[in-house]
Formats: sequence, C-alpha cells, structure tokens
Amino acid sequence: MTTDPARISLGGSAFGDTRVDVDTSLKSVADEPAQLRRRLNDLVSIMALPALWAGGEPPEIVTTLVDALVGTLPLAFIFARVNDPDGGSPFETVRVAESMEGRAREIRRAIDLSLGNAASNSPLHSRIFIGDVQLALASARLGLQGEIGVLVAGSETTDFPAQTEQLILDVAANQAAIALQQARLLTERTRRANESEREWRLIVDSIPGLVAVLSPTGDVEVVNRPLLEYFGQTLEELRQWGTNGTVHPEDLPHVVEVFTRAIASGTPYEIVQRLRRGDGVYRWIQNSGFPLRDTAGQIVRWCVLLTDIDERKRAEAQLAGEIRLLDMVACGSSLTDVLNALCCFVEDTATNCHCGVYLIDWRGPTFQNAAAPTLPASFNDPIDGLPVRREIGPCARAACLRTQVIAADIESDPLWQASPFRDLALTNGLRSCWSTPIYSLAGQVLGTFAIYQRTPGRPTPLLQDLIAQVTHIASIAIERAQSETALKRSEAFLADGQRLSLTGSFSWRVATDEITWSEQLYRIYQIEIGTPVTLDLIRTRVHPEDVSLLEKMKMIDQARAGDDEFEWQYRLLMPDHSVKYLHAVGHAIRNQDNQLEYIAAVQDVTERRVAEEALARARSELAKVARATSLSALTASIVHEINQPLSGIITNASTCLRMLDAHPPDVDGARETAKRTIRDGNRASEVVTRLRALFSKREFTLEPLDLNEATREVIALSSNELQRNRILLQPELADDLPTITGDRIQLQQVILNLLRNGSDAMGNVHDRPRQLLIKTEREKADRIRLTVRDVGVGLPPQSLTSLFDAFYTTKSGGMGIGLFVSRSIIERHHGRLWAEPNDRGPGATFSFSLPLSADGVPDGLPATGTS
Amino acid sequence: MTVTRSLVSIIDDDESVRESLPDLVRQFGFAVEAFASAEAFLSSKYVNQTTCLILDVAMPGMSGPELQRELANRRRTMPIVFITASGDRMIRGRLLAQGAVECLFKPFSETALLDALNAALRR
Repeated sequence: MTTDPARISLGGSAFGDTRVDVDTSLKSVADEPAQLRRRLNDLVSIMALPALWAGGEPPEIVTTLVDALVGTLPLAFIFARVNDPDGGSPFETVRVAESMEGRAREIRRAIDLSLGNAASNSPLHSRIFIGDVQLALASARLGLQGEIGVLVAGSETTDFPAQTEQLILDVAANQAAIALQQARLLTERTRRANESEREWRLIVDSIPGLVAVLSPTGDVEVVNRPLLEYFGQTLEELRQWGTNGTVHPEDLPHVVEVFTRAIASGTPYEIVQRLRRGDGVYRWIQNSGFPLRDTAGQIVRWCVLLTDIDERKRAEAQLAGEIRLLDMVACGSSLTDVLNALCCFVEDTATNCHCGVYLIDWRGPTFQNAAAPTLPASFNDPIDGLPVRREIGPCARAACLRTQVIAADIESDPLWQASPFRDLALTNGLRSCWSTPIYSLAGQVLGTFAIYQRTPGRPTPLLQDLIAQVTHIASIAIERAQSETALKRSEAFLADGQRLSLTGSFSWRVATDEITWSEQLYRIYQIEIGTPVTLDLIRTRVHPEDVSLLEKMKMIDQARAGDDEFEWQYRLLMPDHSVKYLHAVGHAIRNQDNQLEYIAAVQDVTERRVAEEALARARSELAKVARATSLSALTASIVHEINQPLSGIITNASTCLRMLDAHPPDVDGARETAKRTIRDGNRASEVVTRLRALFSKREFTLEPLDLNEATREVIALSSNELQRNRILLQPELADDLPTITGDRIQLQQVILNLLRNGSDAMGNVHDRPRQLLIKTEREKADRIRLTVRDVGVGLPPQSLTSLFDAFYTTKSGGMGIGLFVSRSIIERHHGRLWAEPNDRGPGATFSFSLPLSADGVPDGLPATGTS
Repeated sequence: MTVTRSLVSIIDDDESVRESLPDLVRQFGFAVEAFASAEAFLSSKYVNQTTCLILDVAMPGMSGPELQRELANRRRTMPIVFITASGDRMIRGRLLAQGAVECLFKPFSETALLDALNAALRR
C-alpha cells in the first residue's frame, strides 16, 4: 500500500474525517510486517505534518498533532500540554478514542495527578486507571528538556508503548517541538512587528498635523487620524484625491504637475493649494512632501504633511488687499477708482456678494452712488440722488441711525415691506443687504458701505472684521479726496491770486537747501514749472550785485529766535538782459529740528519799481535843476556883488588915468576918482566878508554828544535813500567811544555828506555789491575817528589836493560845496577831515578825527584856516 | 558958436556906477546925465534930449529891457548900450536881438565902452 497523499492531506485539514479514516485503517492492521509498514507509513505521515504547520499557531499545531496521533497509534487518549513562554497558563488539549468516549474529564484529572501540579515534563506513573480500565501511559517531551511542553498518551494495550509506538510518539513530539519553536518565533516576530506598527500609528495619529504616507510611486498608503477627520473621507476615498474634487479644480493641474514631477525626480516638494475640507469648504493648505530612503538610498516611502494655512492666507490676502487700497489712496488714485477697488476686494474675499459705496451729500441730504462695480445700472441708477431718510432703505437707515443695519431677508423683513428699496433689490435678485456707516475722523457720517447677497443671510464674524476694515479705508479715501478737493480749490485760489498780483512764494530750508517754489515764482523767474529749484539755479537769475543777499540770508545768526520778519529787495537779470525787481516779504522760522527755514512771498515789482525809478529820476533831475538854479542864483549874486565894485574900480581907474592924461591934467578929478577906486575896492572886500558870513549864518552850538548815536540817527535818516541806491551799509560802531563836545547838527551834516558822497561814488558800480562801511573808533586817548569807506570810482590822485576846494566836484550833478563845508565844520571842531584811496580794491575812504573836547573853539573861526 | 554935445544918459541903481561912469563918459566928450532908476529917467526932461542910453539890465522896479520896451511904446527910440554885473553871457544875444547896440559885462574896459558909444552914435 502506497502512501496516499489525500489521506495525509485530509489528516492535516479535516480532523474528523481523518480520525474516521485512521480508525478504519487501524482496524485493518493484522500482521507484524504489515504493522511495521503501517508504522513506517504513520511515521512518514507524522514527518509530513510540519508542512501543514507552516505559519500555524501553537494551538493549531498541537491540535493537528494530537489528532494525527490518535488516528495513528492504538490510543485510548492523547494529551498535549504546551507551556506559555510568557509564563501564562499552558495550552492543553486531550483527544480520547471512541472506547473512552465521555471520559475525557477523568483522563484529564488522572493526567494532572500523574504530572503533578508543578509543570512537569513527564508523568509519575506508567499506568493509570480510568474507572476499571487500566491504561498504559507513554510520554514524550516537547523540547529537549520538555521546556515547550509534554505529550502523554494512554493505551488499553498492556505492552504499550511498543518500541515503534514510542518512536512515533518521540518523532511526533520532536516535529511538534520544532514547529512550536518556529511558531513561537514567528509569533514573537509578528508580535514585535505589530507592536512597532501600533507605536508608529500612535505617533502618526498623535501628530497634530495632517500626515500621509505614500508609496514610492505616490499612492496613498497610510494617513493619520487627524487627516481622516479633517477631510471626512475614508482612506479609500482619499486615494482618489486626483479625481474626487478634494483638490480645488483651479489648483488641480498645478498640483498634479508639481506632484508628478516630485515623485518622478524624488525631490521634496511644497505646494500651496486649496483642498476641500470635510464641511465642503475649500481651505488653503500647504502640502509638503519628502521622500524617505533606505540605507541604499532607494525611496521607500513619501511622507506628506498638510498644513491648513487658510486663515494665515486669508489674513495675508486681506492685508495685501488693504495695503493695495491704501496705496491707491496714497498715490492719489481717484476716489471712484479706490472705492471700486474696495468693492471688488470685498467681493473677492467674501465671495458670492456684491458691494456698494454710497456717499452722502448732507445738504440734501441725498445719496450719491460712488461705487458698485458689480451691480447693474438698473439697481445703481435709482439710488443716485435718493434722499437720506431712514425709511428709504438699509443704507439710509444706517446713515440716519449711525449704526450697522442688517437686512437679513429683504423679502420678509417687515421694515422694508413698504419701502421702494424692497422692490428694487428683489427685482435685481438681491435678498440680503448689510449696510455700515462710514464715519469721518470727526465722527460725521460720510456715506455707507453695503454688502448684498442673492440669498438671505447675515455677515459672519470674519466678514464683520472685513467690513470694519474696509469702511475705515473708505473713510480715509473719502476724507482724503474731500480735503484734496478743498486743498485744490484753495490752491487754485492762491495760484490765481499769485498770478493776478504777480506774487510767488517759496520756502527755503537753509540747512538742506530744500527750496520749494509756487508756480507763479517759476513764471517770475522764467523757469519751467517743476524744474528742481537749487541755489545754483537761483544764482543764474539773481542779479550779480544782489547775489550776496543769498549768502547773507544763509548767514543769519543761527541762534536767532524764530518768527523774525524779513523784507528784501533784489533784482533778477533775465537771459534777455532785462532786469526784474522783486520785493520779498517773509519770515524765518525754526522747524522741529531747529533748522532755519524761510517762508516768503515774492512780488514782481518791476513795473512799480520802473515807475518809481522814473519818478526818482525826474525828482533827482528836478533837484539837480533846483540845485543848479539856486547855485547859479548864488553865483550870480556873488558875481553881481563882486562885479559891481570891480566895475566901479575899473571905471574909476580908467577915468583917473584919462584925467591925469588930460592937458592940463585934472589932478583934483583924478584924486577924486582914485579915492572912489579905493572905496570900491573896500566895497568888494566887504562883499567877500559878507559872503563868508552868509556861509556860517547858523549859531555854532557846543554840547556833549555821542558820535555813535549821532551816526545812528544819520543812518536811520538816510536808510531809505541808501536802500533805494542798493547800498549795503555796514555799520561798525565802536562800543567804547567816549563822549565828545561838538555841534551835533553840523557833525551830522558832515556824516550825512560823507555817506551821500560814498553812495554817489558807487552809483555806476554794477559788477560788485555796493558796500559802504561806516566805522567809529577811538583813535588815541583823546581823539575819536569816523571813517566812511566806499567801493566806488575812487579818487584820481591829482584831485586829492583840490578835493576840498569850495567848487570842486567829480560829480556831474554835484555842487562840490559839500566837502568844502564839511571840512570847515570839522576844522571848527579842531578836527581834521581827509580823503585817501583804498589800500586794496576800488573806492575811497573819507575820515575825520575829532578831539574829545572842542572847548575853546572860537565862534566864527575861518573855515579853511588850519589846513 | 555953441557946440551941442550929444547927451548920454546913464541909468543904474548902483551908486558907484553912477559916480564913476559919468566922469569917464564926460572924458569921452559927451554930455552926461545919471539916473538911479528907469522911472526917474522917464520922469525927467532928458528923455527927449538923450542921444544914447547906457542902461543897467537888472534894477529894482523897472528893469533895463522893460524901459527899452516902454520907450519903444512911446515911439521914443534911442540907441541903448546895456551894462550888467550878471555873469550870464546869454543875455547879450537876447538884448542885441531886441535892438540894443551893445551889452557890456561889468567890469568893462573904457575901450569897450567907447566902441559901444561910437557904434550907438553912428546909428
């Protein structure tokens, strides 16, 4: 009989059938060789058992083993105990033959007794009695020391176990031990694997992010619990992310492209995309994936981390939008553009809504439709010009009550049942309207901001935040536009005024040379409007003689207190060589940094100035004529007075000669005429004396006087004239000047005369500032000196001596008498008056020096007596 | 025989002239009458007898040129030699244009005076 694989196979998989089969075959055993063959076959069957046990659990192995043995050997029962390697209760099983049916419990008790309570690897008895049936026992250890367990078999056969039976039992035990050992190892390994899997899952699940693990080809293998919960999908559903709408349709192509490329190239990727959350809302997600590699560098998994950045993204977008709006405001975009952009911004951010901004003209008060870019004209047009009365609509109500008005459902809201707004909104498909007042900084309602939806609803807290933000921005934009309009109007007024009055204005920060001009000033300077103004540019226009004024302005004493008023007259030399006269009035202020800044108005006074100059010229001509007239009258008078006696002298002398030449000589007549000649000579002398008396008619009055004070009075008196002649007067009056005694009026006439001479001497100076220095100083212990230095035409050397002659003059219109008289005045004070050319540079210096005391000056001293 | 000498009338407000000039003119051989003012001359009997007039330009009251016009008005024309102490040389042309024989500026030489008187008498 050959080994039947079907039997073995049956014996391994369906115990009941096998047992029946084995029992049947046992009964057919007859003779020894047949038995031996049988045992050999049994042995082969037993040896084949491990093939069945592969991957099996210990109970399976043991159960299969005992089933196989009970069918193989002539057993009453077979018992198997497998110890738990972890120290738990051992696994025990028992099979009983049909003959012992129903006595399994007794057998267990007997075996327990025989093996003892302590885990033992072999029974204490070789025979036991189950009732009156005596059973011979055989045992086999599982494992070398029975550490795995034990097999105990009992048989009614008295010589049990025969040698072959013990062999089969031992082989079976041996096979089972190996299988159990393997199973135990396998279990251990599986347990460990499961444990590590559990730990890993625990870690992944407890990551507070959304984590997925992908296969090297990008298929979703594992996702953590938070991810499942976030998306509200099963793992299977999630695996279909590419087609099931999880990714926002707009983002899908990009996501697929980046993802595919990353998987193909094995490089980490990062995508910002919208993914649909469990509640159906698309959220912005940052998707970062990175490959995990084994030691050989092969990608074994992809780890993917999804981060919900929706709020950050929303905040960023909102902030960017707000900044864009504020930028528009700052850059001077038109109010309409700003408000339209504002509406679009809210519509983009909030989605499924329409926005409108309505300005209020409080003079009506009426609405003005300022911006509603996505609402139709059929809705917008009727709003324009609507009166602002609270029953008109939500916006009017919001404006009147100064509060947000939410019309959650316009159709059913009783407030609007009778309002024309209800029809208007419903006809245009709008169901809800949320109006918020836009306040000015001062709290005035500038207008309203309205959001409309096509479905009933209320604003979310998030949207309320947005509304608060944009109404604030709208307020800034509106106020700015209004103040700009006002500013433009006043600027226009100012510009018109400046143009009309030929007055420009400028500001000049001296430290930084930041200069700002009004348009009119550009026109005055004939420089293209908008050209950056620099000092160099100004210098190209300012008359060379007046350029020093700029320096003077820069040099203003830095410590000087603010708000000083200034007034300047200066000229421009235009490219066509015409001259413009400017009159600037301004003040110097100190800005926050304590830096000097001029703010001034500049008037083009050329016409006035030309008229003035013409007048001055006419006046001066007149004065010259008058002066010449009075001089000629004086001269005529002097000539007349002198000529009369001279005429007498000559006539008498002629007569005298004729009388002496007569025949006979008329000696008496000659004597008479000679006497008359002498008398006429005396008369001429009297005339001269009278003339001298005429020149010094005034009383000479001595008094103590302060020459500085007297000088300052003269400066004050002549400042207008000096300014008119554009003389830069530099007074340098000594502090320590002692009082002198003198005739104040006469000395002031001298000073005035010297100033005028100096001023006149510079009348033709056009290439340099007309500087006139007037200086007082102590000369010696007992003298003081006054000096006037001009930079004018100077003195021809040959004229130095004749300078002080009565009728000497270098001036076309001058009388020349000034220096003559001046010198005589100074000499009456025992002083000295002299002139000298300047050491350096052009011009002349006139000086007089006076003794401190003019005591003892005799009245009527000859004017020219001392030099 | 009676030699009727030409009468030269001198009118000048200046006393030294009235003292000195008549003597000199007499030395030339003329009859002389001197007056301190134009008015005094006009009111005298010599107006019609005067052959030649030596007349000061500037005088208080009626001036020399005014007397010249007055005489013209009275159809009593006579050659006039103006004398003046003024330095204004322009006056000479004007006076000559108005009919004067000469205008002498004080102080003048006797030659100048004689030439002028001769010229006057040639008229």
